[in-house]
Amino acid sequence: MSIIDLTSMGEPQSELRKELNDRLTKLQDEISDYCFQCARCTSGCEAHKLLELEPHKIVALLKRGLLNELINADVIWTCMTCQKCRERCPQRVAPIEILFALKNIAVANGKQIPGKYTAMLQSILTMGLIQDVQQTTTRTNTTVKRDDLGLPPLSKPVDAAKFQAGIMKIAMEKV
Amino acid sequence: MKKRYALFPGCLMPTEQYAYELSLRETLPLLGVELVDVEGFSCCGEPMKSVNQLLTLYLSARNLAIAQKHHLDIYVPCAMCHLALTECQHILEKNPAMKERINGMLAAEELTYTEKTHLVHTVDLLHDVIGIQTIKEHVKKPLHGLKIAAHYGCHILRPKEIGRPDDSENPQKIETILKALGAEPVNYPQKLDCCGAPLLANLPESALTKTGQKLQAIQEQQIQGLVDVCPWCHKMFDSRQTKAGETVAVKLDVPVVYLTQLLGIAFGIPPEKLGLELNLSPVEKLQQEAKP
Amino acid sequence: MRRIGVFVCHCGINIAQNVDVKTLTEYASHLNGVVVAKEYKYMCSDVGATLIKDTIKEFKLDGIVIASCSPRMHEHTFRRVANDGGVNPYRVEISNIREQCSWAHSDKQKATEKAKYLVRSAVSKALSLEPLKPSTLKVIPEALIIGGGIAGIQASLDLANDGFKVHLVERDPSIGGHMAQLDKTFPTLDCSSCILTPKMMEVANHENIELLSYAEIVSIEGSIGNYTVKIRKKPRYVDVDKCTGCGDCATNCRLKDRITSEFNQGMGKRGAAYMPFPQAVPLKYVIDDKKCLFLTKGKCGDEPLCKKACAQNAICFDQKEEIIERKVGAIIVATGYDVMDPAVVYEYGYDQSPDVITTLELERLISSSGPTKGEILRPSNQQKPKSVTFILCVGSRDETQCSWCCRIGCMTALKQVYLLREKLGEDVEINVCYNDLRSFGKGYEEFYRKVRGLHTNMFRGRPSEVRPMTDHLKIDIFDTTTNKLFEIKTDMVVLVPAMMPRKDAAEFARLLHLTLSGDGFFLEAHPKLRPVDTFVNGIFIAGCCQAPKDIQDTVSQASAAASRATTILSQEELEIDPLIAMVDEDVCTGCGICIEVCPYEARTLNERKRIAEVNNALCAGCGSCIAACPSNASIHKNFTKKQLLNMVDDIM
Ligand SMILES: Cc1cc2nc3c(=O)[nH]c(=O)nc-3n(C[C@H](O)[C@H](O)[C@H](O)COP(=O)(O)OP(=O)(O)OC[C@H]3O[C@@H](n4cnc5c(N)ncnc54)[C@H](O)[C@@H]3O)c2cc1C
Ligand code: SF4
Ligand code: SF4
Ligand code: SF4
Ligand code: SF4
Repeated sequence: MSIIDLTSMGEPQSELRKELNDRLTKLQDEISDYCFQCARCTSGCEAHKLLELEPHKIVALLKRGLLNELINADVIWTCMTCQKCRERCPQRVAPIEILFALKNIAVANGKQIPGKYTAMLQSILTMGLIQDVQQTTTRTNTTVKRDDLGLPPLSKPVDAAKFQAGIMKIAMEKV
Repeated sequence: MKKRYALFPGCLMPTEQYAYELSLRETLPLLGVELVDVEGFSCCGEPMKSVNQLLTLYLSARNLAIAQKHHLDIYVPCAMCHLALTECQHILEKNPAMKERINGMLAAEELTYTEKTHLVHTVDLLHDVIGIQTIKEHVKKPLHGLKIAAHYGCHILRPKEIGRPDDSENPQKIETILKALGAEPVNYPQKLDCCGAPLLANLPESALTKTGQKLQAIQEQQIQGLVDVCPWCHKMFDSRQTKAGETVAVKLDVPVVYLTQLLGIAFGIPPEKLGLELNLSPVEKLQQEAKP
Repeated sequence: MRRIGVFVCHCGINIAQNVDVKTLTEYASHLNGVVVAKEYKYMCSDVGATLIKDTIKEFKLDGIVIASCSPRMHEHTFRRVANDGGVNPYRVEISNIREQCSWAHSDKQKATEKAKYLVRSAVSKALSLEPLKPSTLKVIPEALIIGGGIAGIQASLDLANDGFKVHLVERDPSIGGHMAQLDKTFPTLDCSSCILTPKMMEVANHENIELLSYAEIVSIEGSIGNYTVKIRKKPRYVDVDKCTGCGDCATNCRLKDRITSEFNQGMGKRGAAYMPFPQAVPLKYVIDDKKCLFLTKGKCGDEPLCKKACAQNAICFDQKEEIIERKVGAIIVATGYDVMDPAVVYEYGYDQSPDVITTLELERLISSSGPTKGEILRPSNQQKPKSVTFILCVGSRDETQCSWCCRIGCMTALKQVYLLREKLGEDVEINVCYNDLRSFGKGYEEFYRKVRGLHTNMFRGRPSEVRPMTDHLKIDIFDTTTNKLFEIKTDMVVLVPAMMPRKDAAEFARLLHLTLSGDGFFLEAHPKLRPVDTFVNGIFIAGCCQAPKDIQDTVSQASAAASRATTILSQEELEIDPLIAMVDEDVCTGCGICIEVCPYEARTLNERKRIAEVNNALCAGCGSCIAACPSNASIHKNFTKKQLLNMVDDIM
């Protein structure tokens, strides 16, 4: 009938969980249900060593369907994408993929995107790359750009309008 | 045998990590690789994976489709791009419905993802395609006496199930290449630790702590230098080394070079051509310490 | 002059590191009566045995002392070696210098001194050991199997197929035991009755098996190879020779559907005339004498309707219980287990809500031959449940109830989750509250993984209580995987109760002189090396009467027990250990005290001679009578007072 987290009075969002599981199966052969909470993922998590990310707990909460709590948590944005959890999970669960999915859902639900992601996204939309050519400093403190070094022109979308049209389509779609 | 590849530069290498591009353009042709510059590539999509995975998939497929239009295999020097493109192929190959959807969207640019394309990264290109023997034949100034640590970067090692350039737990290809150059590769416990780069976008402080911790460990083990094969890792270890040191409150002094730069040094290519002056870490120490 | 040889074993370094074996050997060689002393690294090895045999021949020894480990370990080995070498096997004395010396002490010098005393006294005993000859006993090539669950069935069939006559005694009206109540079995999900019924039929039809159902053991006398068993056959009030199993009696019984069915775990009804379940073996009806109106009140309307209905005239109310006797050479006990009554854990609500049931009850609900014909209905309202929650380890791994693991609860719950998912569909919530999930058997872990994939909510923790609310049950559980307290609202709770020894296990053990282990199950002679033997020679145990286990292990054990029984039944004669009690006829006054104390009923009074006698086949050599005899007439062979006092003197 129902399961309630008595601390936060949160109820499982089974629809959302289904959606998330669906997208995971579409993108990976990843089924979080199989997780048996050995916490091998957390034992080796690069982010856990610095921050508070506990991938096994993310999976446990997901299995409970407590997605609101997860989506609103800042901790999902601390994954370093080192892929160790996915690589070493004895049950072929991939916490990293779950984290990507959660972050995506958070963004889709209008959660504030942290840090420089918005700037990068903007740059991709306008010129196809996360940033334009930068001026860099040498060890001898002179500044150089791509052209100064005799490198060929930057490869980037030729027809910006067409490129943007393609990307705009994605904004409408769900995985 | 002549090998032709479309060079997929990605974002970071061609917009700021010039040393990588300079050195690979310098060394690889020497080893019989023809790099073809193709117009129209975009970001691989990986940096956007946290925001919208479909966008990642789309961008990767788009780049693959461009190379496919030219019937070229792809050389991807960036570890992150390599993961994005590999994963995209993995998904599209096993999910025809997804392939169809993506192709529907690619139509806006008259592109189609057709079939699986052969992808290489610097490590497998050098080790598997070119081969150690060929590399050895080109060494003019062997790097005798140099103790070098290799940093592979998470994204070229994992996840193994989709096929990565080297073993996920005990990669040795860079070490083998280092030996071919006359250097002495060191295996160190922190070898598989992350460089921290993926957190640069939103938690730069934590990202730099990761970087600093790894460099500190290397410095403490009296290793003379670190090689890397990814513009993101290099950005952390070399470009941001001073900052990373400040974050972990240690004075860091570790020479960091791209593998292709080290290759060039051993091949006797003049440092300017390899972009060595672009490295912010004390790479001159490497040149001094090598005993010819 | 006697010629004794002493053999000192190093036991690798077990003895040698704390006892100076060279000094000890040298010392022993000078003892009175000793003609040779030797030491070796492993006396029990082939090389050691050859050394002993060669020395016996070379020095013409007539007795040997082995200074080594406890006689419990290798006495038998060395007796055989002595015999092969030409020394009477009962002229072997073991001096335990390992358990009682080298392992117990760390001061090498003192330990060596102690070892010298021990060896010296052993030599003195060896000097007075009598050569003995085992007597023999004819073996009755028939077996008794007690309990007709899958263990008893398997053991019976194995022995019967080996050509031995088997008497299978089952207390209930039908064989089958718990397995007959199960729907499907983990991990392969074979239908339980599909794999069990053929075996039950085979038992019923096997020419070598005498099936004594609705029967109990009254007494067992005798010993290995030759037991006399008295069996009580309870009256069925149905003549089994006439009954065709048509069921007319049951259909017409005045109490039809008014008595709770034991087989359906109280979830279904039967009459006073009934068949426990459709595949029962023997396929004969029975009348419940505790409920039948005619048998309890002497009157069932105008006339008993069953009797009227039976065309075969098989109903016979004047049947009496009958005691029969059988003689067998070996016995296998396979009396199975009881499921704990979960009402003892009151707070889990078994007594408070009909919607709290056990796994065994759920088996009956799932079964298509069960009270709901296989439909899963919530007992309180006969509606399909929307949520079912399992609680594992109820009373198990609990020092206040049963400290052991039930070993099948986890897998049973997982199996039932699987079957419920199949029957109830995707939208029913299934929760499992577990403590550890134990899925150790072949194919079990794989099954567990499969169940995790069925949207099962796994909570790691033990709920404190189950609260019956107005229209549902409420469970609070702190889940240690998320570190959160959850409230589960559910329609049905399935408890996984502990597996217990049979209620009458202790009483039954006394009947057969079996030993119980601390948990109350029957104790095996050695947990690793003699897992189906008991301390009574000729009696073996199999299945859940020894400890909780699954069907696979039960069947393996049953076959093992059958094969152990065969080692006895296949011999024509057995040797009887001569190290038993005897009576000094000149001294015995015939007081009969020994008869009272002998736990093996090996003593009888010879009225004519007015002395006590020992039945060699029954005497276990326990020594009770020797201690009890006021006139020193009871003697234990080779443990005479004189022999023992000599040993003591030599140590003093
Ligand atoms: C709910 C539940 C589900 C289970 N599911 C599975 C499963 O899926 N797979 C699996 O492998 N195992 C399962 N098991 C375990 C299985 O029931 C046992 O392994 C098996 O039944 C043990 O058989 P047994 O012959 O030792 O004991 P029992 O089945 O208990 O048989 C003992 C027999 O001896 C008789 N008896 C008892 N005392 C006397 C006496 N004094 N004289 C004469 N007869 C006597 C009894 O009447 C009974 O017929 C389950 C158990 C439970 C409780
Ligand atoms: S995700 Fe994998 S590694 Fe992590 S706890 Fe679950 S099973 Fe273990
Ligand atoms: S990928 Fe993310 S969650 Fe997984 S181990 Fe690395 S940092 Fe932790
Ligand atoms: S088998 Fe499972 S349910 Fe039974 S006691 Fe052991 S752990 Fe608990
Ligand atoms: S030693 Fe005595 S008391 Fe013990 S079994 Fe033999 S006769 Fe009975």
